[in-house]
Amino acid sequence: MHHAHIDKFAYQDSAIHRLDSRVKAIVVLVFTAVVISLPRTSPSILACYAIGPFAILVWARIPLRFVFKQILLVSPFVLVLALSCPLYDKTPVTLNFGPFHWRSSLGWLRCFVILGKFTVTMLALIGLVSTTRFNHLLAGLQRLRVPRLLVIQLGFLYRYIFVLIDRAHHILRARAGRKLRHLGFRAELRTAASMLGSLFIRSIDTAEHISTAMQARGFDGRWRTLSKLKIRRSDVLFALIAALFMLGLHVFVRPVLP
Amino acid sequence: MSKAIEIEDFSYGYSDGTAALSGITLSVEHGQKLALIGPNGAGKSTLLLAMAGFAKGTGKVLVDGLEMNRKNLKKIRTCLGSCLENPDDQLFMPTLFDDVAFGPLNMGMAPEQVKLRVADALQTVGLAGMADKAPHHLSAGQKRAAAIATILAMRPKIITLDEPDGSLDPRNRNNLIKLLVNLPQTLIIATCNMDFAAALADRAVLLDKGQIIADGDAKKIMSDSKLMTEHGLEVAKKMK
Repeated sequence: MHHAHIDKFAYQDSAIHRLDSRVKAIVVLVFTAVVISLPRTSPSILACYAIGPFAILVWARIPLRFVFKQILLVSPFVLVLALSCPLYDKTPVTLNFGPFHWRSSLGWLRCFVILGKFTVTMLALIGLVSTTRFNHLLAGLQRLRVPRLLVIQLGFLYRYIFVLIDRAHHILRARAGRKLRHLGFRAELRTAASMLGSLFIRSIDTAEHISTAMQARGFDGRWRTLSKLKIRRSDVLFALIAALFMLGLHVFVRPVLP
Repeated sequence: MSKAIEIEDFSYGYSDGTAALSGITLSVEHGQKLALIGPNGAGKSTLLLAMAGFAKGTGKVLVDGLEMNRKNLKKIRTCLGSCLENPDDQLFMPTLFDDVAFGPLNMGMAPEQVKLRVADALQTVGLAGMADKAPHHLSAGQKRAAAIATILAMRPKIITLDEPDGSLDPRNRNNLIKLLVNLPQTLIIATCNMDFAAALADRAVLLDKGQIIADGDAKKIMSDSKLMTEHGLEVAKKMK
């Protein structure tokens, strides 16, 4: 079955794609921390921060349609959080956009800031995943001394999430093929529980088989890979530009607290 | 000289008490191509697992002269490569290169030697130039070939394959036969596809309900229509 893989543009070639995964990962991590730690500010400042990841996505020829589709896919969780803000914080505030003034509540401001921060950090994260092959990212994380177990689990998640999705589709199709009438809520719930149970048991089976395959090839608990990472001049230049960009925004674009 | 596999009175039961294998005695010479045939649930996969030390039962199992025990397990798994039924279980790394390199790296080989082994194994199975591919981007036939490459890179003396022809179309099945028939290693292939077994094996062992029913010349066993039908199998087309 065909899947739209999150890293499907990571196999392209551009200056951004060729950068070392460790440098990209650190830059994205620092950028995310900087954006998240921004105080309650007007959304326009977040737009300035968005310029960085946006430029990288354009330079790496990642279709923006794909990027926004990915953001939309993961947005429901944040949307729930953001949209609940106006409900509990109704303190009036006035927002100034040059000559324009907008009276609103602190809840709405928080809502926009959460959505803004989410979008900007997601742009950076998608920029990282779309320009870095997953195996290079894993090798980078391992070299950055991210706990080995976490790196291994990320690798397995990436490898098997599509197998799991395929299985879920097969189970759903099998159910649709035999479900010839409306079963009622309770029966539907029971069927869904059985389907989830079946998926869970098959996942355990798969895990056991993978463990067998690993042990058969000499796995003794130590994860060994041939890392092909190397820091070059272009990586240092990229890190410098990213640092200057963040520092420049921090110094020159001051948040105006309402 | 020691035999590739020597099994003496081996029995294995599942935790619920079901006997999967009982009183198996089998010896396989080096270089032999053996087909383990039998209906579903006959115990073929369990016997292959026992050869690799994954199914621990009663009796004696020797692989290349090494007795199956904790001390010898690493050596045994270096000389016996197991290829599982589902290639998705065999290919667990993010790229084909990492997957094929997994075994040689665990054997403690130097990086340059590992790279050579990977290139060689991929070349042998017809996947040269695809090292950077992710396993989920491969076709069913390519996945099967890649699974075999993960074993070939370790250069084992013995290779066990569990239903290697499963879900392959005729073209991919023929490609697989061409690949396996030319391998110099001892091959033990569990299958219930008689055409596939007939194309590869010089010796057949018929297994049913956890017991060896027949053991001998592949053509002789697989052309015995009464024996085949009695045990839920069929005579290979070219033997009819």
